[in-house]
Amino acid sequence: MLGSLFEFLFKYRPLIFQQGDFAFRGSSLGYLALVVAAVAAFLTLRTYTKVRGNSQPLDRTILTAIRLGALGVIALCLLRPVLVLSLVVPQENFLGVLIDDSKSMQIADIDDTQRFEFVHSTFADTESEILATLADRFALRFFRFSSGIDRVGEVSELTYEGTRTHLGQALERAHEELSGVPLSGLIVVTDGADNALQGLGEALLPLQASGVPVFPVGLGRERFDRDIQMSRVETPRRVLKGTSLAVELVVTHRGYQGETVSVQVEDEGRIVGTKDVRLPADGQPQTVRIRFTASERGPRLFRFRVSPRQDEMVIQNNVREALIVVEDRREKILYFEGEPRWEVKYMLRAVEDDENLQVVLLQRTAENKFLRRNVDGPDELVGGFPRTRSELYEYRGLVLGSIEAGYFTPDQLRMIADFVNHRGGGLLMLGSHRSFAKGGYVGTPVAEVLPVVLEPVSADSGENFFAEVSVVTSRAGASHASTLIAETEAASVERWRTLPPVTIVNPITEVKPGATTLLRTPEGLIVLAFQRYGAGKSMAFPVQDSWMWQMHADVPVDDMTHETFWRRILRWLIADVPDQVVASVNQDRVDPNELVTVLAEVGDDNYEELNNSAVVAIVTDPSGDLVELPMEWTAERDGEYRTTFTAGEQGFYEVRVEASVGDEFLGEDAVYVQVASSDTEFYDSTMRLPLLTRLAEETGGRLYTPATVNELPDDIQYVGGGVTVIEDRELWDMPVLLLLLVSLVLGEWGYRRFRGLA
Amino acid sequence: MKSVSQVLFPVRVDGAATLSPDEPFSILEHHVRFGIGRIALVGMTLAGAGLVALTAAPEIEGEPKQDFRSLMAERSKTDEERPGPKEFYFTRGVYSSPWRWNSWAIDFPKADRQFMAAVNTLVDINVADHENAIRLDDPDLRRFPFLYILEIEGMLLTQAEVTGLRDYLLAGGFLVVDDFWGEWAYANLEQEMRRVIPEYSIVEIPSNHPIFNTVYRIEEIIQVPAIGRYYGGVTTECYGCDAFTSGIFDDEGRLMVVINGNTDLGDAWEWFERPEYPLQFSSFAVQMGVNFIVYAMSH
Repeated sequence: MLGSLFEFLFKYRPLIFQQGDFAFRGSSLGYLALVVAAVAAFLTLRTYTKVRGNSQPLDRTILTAIRLGALGVIALCLLRPVLVLSLVVPQENFLGVLIDDSKSMQIADIDDTQRFEFVHSTFADTESEILATLADRFALRFFRFSSGIDRVGEVSELTYEGTRTHLGQALERAHEELSGVPLSGLIVVTDGADNALQGLGEALLPLQASGVPVFPVGLGRERFDRDIQMSRVETPRRVLKGTSLAVELVVTHRGYQGETVSVQVEDEGRIVGTKDVRLPADGQPQTVRIRFTASERGPRLFRFRVSPRQDEMVIQNNVREALIVVEDRREKILYFEGEPRWEVKYMLRAVEDDENLQVVLLQRTAENKFLRRNVDGPDELVGGFPRTRSELYEYRGLVLGSIEAGYFTPDQLRMIADFVNHRGGGLLMLGSHRSFAKGGYVGTPVAEVLPVVLEPVSADSGENFFAEVSVVTSRAGASHASTLIAETEAASVERWRTLPPVTIVNPITEVKPGATTLLRTPEGLIVLAFQRYGAGKSMAFPVQDSWMWQMHADVPVDDMTHETFWRRILRWLIADVPDQVVASVNQDRVDPNELVTVLAEVGDDNYEELNNSAVVAIVTDPSGDLVELPMEWTAERDGEYRTTFTAGEQGFYEVRVEASVGDEFLGEDAVYVQVASSDTEFYDSTMRLPLLTRLAEETGGRLYTPATVNELPDDIQYVGGGVTVIEDRELWDMPVLLLLLVSLVLGEWGYRRFRGLA
Repeated sequence: MKSVSQVLFPVRVDGAATLSPDEPFSILEHHVRFGIGRIALVGMTLAGAGLVALTAAPEIEGEPKQDFRSLMAERSKTDEERPGPKEFYFTRGVYSSPWRWNSWAIDFPKADRQFMAAVNTLVDINVADHENAIRLDDPDLRRFPFLYILEIEGMLLTQAEVTGLRDYLLAGGFLVVDDFWGEWAYANLEQEMRRVIPEYSIVEIPSNHPIFNTVYRIEEIIQVPAIGRYYGGVTTECYGCDAFTSGIFDDEGRLMVVINGNTDLGDAWEWFERPEYPLQFSSFAVQMGVNFIVYAMSH
């Protein structure tokens, strides 16, 4: 409406004014007329100054201004103003038309029709006026793009099955392909749902440099009316078999505020977890923590699904998949205890049935006398607590019970700190008369690693401290994987509240910056805290008799709380602890024929990075065929090796990385890659107006929608590059000037009448 | 190891270094082997420990402490090194025996105190040096995961005691039965245990079981006599019967009850300070007892 009014008044559309340069094309006769007008203006001024009549000074000023204004309009017209425009020369320029061929174009959100139908009616239909006009003026070159880009002869060749949209890459390639011809611009027909990892910035630089404007045609809605989306799922890449996972999901929606939906977790089709979620206000993300157990070994595809609603606009974005490698192996934890304690017995009993935990006990029963349990052979720990890093680093976790710091040599204390910081292991210190500050750890390297602040003890402060306490969860502890001891968070919090009291002799009230308190007493004593330190993590549990949660008369005999607690805490302690060889892939899910990058980090038995080891990746495809790929040191990071391969077959690829130095085998690790057509396109698939606007603005183009696309053929004439010709567009005959002149004359007459001066 | 012989009688133990790396449960330093040459030394040690215990022990009390909180408070006051309850209480089970009044209290509390004095010296356990008796139907029973009962030939548990002991054992408590003689007593024990945990049976403990080498290596089960019997020149009270150590294992193969039949470890603990009581018996009894405790606290 406004655009039409503007065009009526000013003769041309705003775009013409934006693109054109203002100039005067006046003739000598015109200039003579201008002089006459100037003389007339002088006379007017003089007349109104001299002739007073019955007029007031204000009347004379107004009438003079009106008269001069009218003369000014006439003078402007006599100067013959023009807009100087650069117009593309018809049929001498090329125009690239890039059409989004990804799955998101199947979404039916334009008047209940699918997005690609607009493409067909506008760019494929031979009767399309737009297409005909463009074809008249330009040599058209069509491309389809999704994760790659291809030239197509006809738009009808598009299938809209692309699994990703890499917009920047598409622009870059199309520009390269058309770089040898006069190019007026690139039309990009897309919803803008770009999901490339890299941004657009670099792709636009060549377009800006060569002055090629981009004309995005944005398809789809900026906002769905009714949709629920599983926006994010965060899972660990690998877990021990039997691990109870607490996974965080983020659900977003529009149009279902206050409704309750069911969220489910499936392990290869079997439902292993479910939770009802009440949806918050529109657009507000709802974080959901859902629990399930990884009970089947191997690479497992877990699906996290929100039950779809009948009237949802997109149901494909209700589910997310995550590949989790469930490992079935025994992880070794060294438990060093300085005296016979009931805590030992009951902790070992609690995890005895856990086939994936091997708690090796080294217990001092008297001075220089030790008891070993669960060792692998007669030589393990035969010399007592490990004296070398390689011996200690064989374990993934270390539990220090009632053992004083003075037992260790300074090097052993440093070694324990390095176990966490450098090797990436998990350290847990238990409460007792010989641990924490009471055990003389203040100022030692171990104290640096611990998540709690140790204050030196004296007779006044803590030496004789003893408290019988009940335990409550902190906000973090209510949902943390290590402290969930019941089926639901609420039940877990309540269970902690009702557990029998335990005793503490280590008065610890402060955690370090960055540490997290999971359990505490109502009085403020720390009961369980952790922090990540270097490559590993440490925990403090200053309780000396958690076995009361098993043996107290208030605890039913068949209650599993104590067992659950210790299994959880020990499993969490050793989760993600690296081995000497750690393999990873850049993406664990790729599309068919996508390139997979395999990385490996290799260290010796002291976990010092090795750059001279022989590393190979043995890739097994879904059919069982093996390919052995040598891996090269990247030279970017110590101990890092890389190789790539193309995954062509749908299914799971196993990538086993083996490393050795000379004859010494350092270790191996396996990762998995799922090759499958992805549904990424259906997430966040509304039209990205900001991105498309930026694309147009930064390249000098214009943004269109299906409603405005009919302006495109004309606009390109003025905005486009390539072979152009200069053209003047007359402005003296703009209706707005005539209207202005008439208005001024009528205005003067009206004023005189009004003031009685006629 | 801070052995009694080193602390009280600093005499070298001959041939003590017996490290056995092929044993998964081996002890890293010294096993005190049971032999004639060492019996005298260990015996002297125990006698010394007994004297220490008797000197330090308060007057014998007639009634056992049964209130946990008052017990803990009292113990805390006397312990200047470690506030709070002790880690280990030698807990004696008080059971019903209508045909033999207070049979649970045989050797009580002297045996308990003397034995704890020895344990306190031999191994690094924060032990309570007082006796601690508690009824089997007391809810606080489960706070004491080591339980000792004896003279069970007259034991006839009430239903509350059956329930209490059953819960105790199934929750993870450890029971040591001692000082009963002959088939009749064994049959009574078997019958009562069938009431407590009918799903489990009494079986022989194999000689290579960790309980026989957790701290001390026990190579032979010997019959320990009551002191009165020994004065009469015999070790047995059932004429011809041999001492045995059997047990009850749970579903996971964990030992939850140890039964010392046809022998009287408690009497050896009670009288090991007597010069006339044979050292081989008191040494054996203390070693077995220490093994039971450390095993119970680590397995």
